[in-house]
Amino acid sequence: MSEYLKIDDIHKDFSGLKVLTGINLTIAQRERHAVIGPNGAGKTTLFNIISGKFRPSRGAILFKGTDISRKPPHVLNRHGLSRSFQITNIFQDLSVFDNVLSGVRSKYGLKYHFFRRPDRDRRIVEEVRALVEEVGLKEVMHLPASALSYGQQRALEIAIALSTSPELILLDEPTAGMTREETAQCIRMIDRVIADRTLLIIEHDMDVVFSLADRISVLHYGTIIATGRPEEIRNDQRVKDAYLGEG
Amino acid sequence: MKTVKAGPYLTAAGLFALMAAAPFVIKPYHLNMLTEIIIFALYAVSYNLLLGYAGLLSFGHAMFFGMGAFSVAVGLIHIPGLGLGEVILLALAVATLTGLAAGLLLLRHKGSYFALLTLAFNALFYAVATKWHEITGGDDGLSITRPDLNLGFTSLPMASLENFYYFTLVVVGLIILFCWYFTKTAMGQSVLMMRENEERMKFLGYNTNVNRLILFTFTGALAGVAGAFYTLHFQFCSQSAISIDMTTTVLLMTFVGGTGTFMGPVLGAFVFIILQNYLSDITDRWPLFMGLIFIFMVLFVPGGLSQLAGKIKDLVVGKKEGAAALSAQGGNHE
Repeated sequence: MSEYLKIDDIHKDFSGLKVLTGINLTIAQRERHAVIGPNGAGKTTLFNIISGKFRPSRGAILFKGTDISRKPPHVLNRHGLSRSFQITNIFQDLSVFDNVLSGVRSKYGLKYHFFRRPDRDRRIVEEVRALVEEVGLKEVMHLPASALSYGQQRALEIAIALSTSPELILLDEPTAGMTREETAQCIRMIDRVIADRTLLIIEHDMDVVFSLADRISVLHYGTIIATGRPEEIRNDQRVKDAYLGEG
Repeated sequence: MKTVKAGPYLTAAGLFALMAAAPFVIKPYHLNMLTEIIIFALYAVSYNLLLGYAGLLSFGHAMFFGMGAFSVAVGLIHIPGLGLGEVILLALAVATLTGLAAGLLLLRHKGSYFALLTLAFNALFYAVATKWHEITGGDDGLSITRPDLNLGFTSLPMASLENFYYFTLVVVGLIILFCWYFTKTAMGQSVLMMRENEERMKFLGYNTNVNRLILFTFTGALAGVAGAFYTLHFQFCSQSAISIDMTTTVLLMTFVGGTGTFMGPVLGAFVFIILQNYLSDITDRWPLFMGLIFIFMVLFVPGGLSQLAGKIKDLVVGKKEGAAALSAQGGNHE
């Protein structure tokens, strides 16, 4: 399927402020696509629209042929779409286990049940343990999320995003605020856990972008000025002028 | 709670046995009080599921309590031959429907809007109860006689205080036990998540509006059952059962006991009812003293009596064990 995710002429105005002015982008299944661009280019707004937090002012988003652009986040999650957040957005007072459990049990439809305990469901518990282990948080599994280090919280953020077993995953600056080593470790982890899912990632760190992405789009003042393979983007004059040249 | 699985059940069984022995030890006056405490414990526990667990401040909980209370009184007066179990089920149904209807109208509002709207709803219900004299008795209230409990093969006379006490202990006690279990279930854990981070929940496939509606209806139903037992206990129901005072009462009980634990509100109901009884014997100005106690608690012991008890336990048993227990629970709500 070549048009797995098709972003079609997306506009977003915030009471007159035009943040996105016609985004067009097509992503293939199993592609790893990075969105880069300077601060304020509209990257997170684009993510918020794809993931259902905002409605676009104009345009459509086709996911496997269905327009999902005006559906709420919880419905999109059931379609197989999940996201992480730039600013760590976890359940601070719950344990790491319970944080990941929240998504795993949602996937199995154990959300509003009055009698069944999710922590007594072996299949669910095993899956939570495996995921916690995969992101390297096994030792802190029963600690409250608030007790974790920043890097661990970022790993938990990704684990939560993965916990509903999405096929399309959106990561919003997963390595933001990490040290060099933490970043390298995090990239390896992301590379492993994404496996053959489709990834859309916002990132500032060029090392992350060039090591993870198959293709890159450059967002500048609300519009995509270039899309291509990493080496194409690296040599694109417009991109150099707008973004890479600055850094 | 994973480390001490049997603990809570043993505690519950011990408490149950202790309370079952009470009629042999204490005077009827105190047995009356104990019945009242059990009823208000359910009311406070139901309120804490909203306030402590979901983080929703409601000033309208008395409307459910009152609807349950009035359902029993009106039902017994107007439907001849209504049994004890039936009238409680009637109250449960009415309170559930009230919770569902109010919930549907309120669920999109959050924070102070939600709180103020619940207050307005409660005021509306109170006004209806006061004005609709033919049905509610208005200021005069409604007097009833407790029907006997029909067990099929035999009938248990409910005129006896002991029998009604045991009936309340078993039925209300089991409901409170279920509320505790509920906090561990999928829905109970979803309630906690709602307090923690409602936005993230949405991105994990939870419809938080549905979540809030279910919780609101459930806690309304529980309060309705408490209200039903309230009328059955006093064999009387007036508009005070649905008044803002009744909301304030549950708010005080929950705060005094502590919103941070499941047993906090139970402890709060216990202390509140006892204080109210003794203070009102001593002075007519007992609400003033209750108010002062409340202010003191909020200012100096914001975690309530249960927090205070926890601290004392830490001092006696030693800090280490307390800290270990805390980390073993891993941020669970107890």
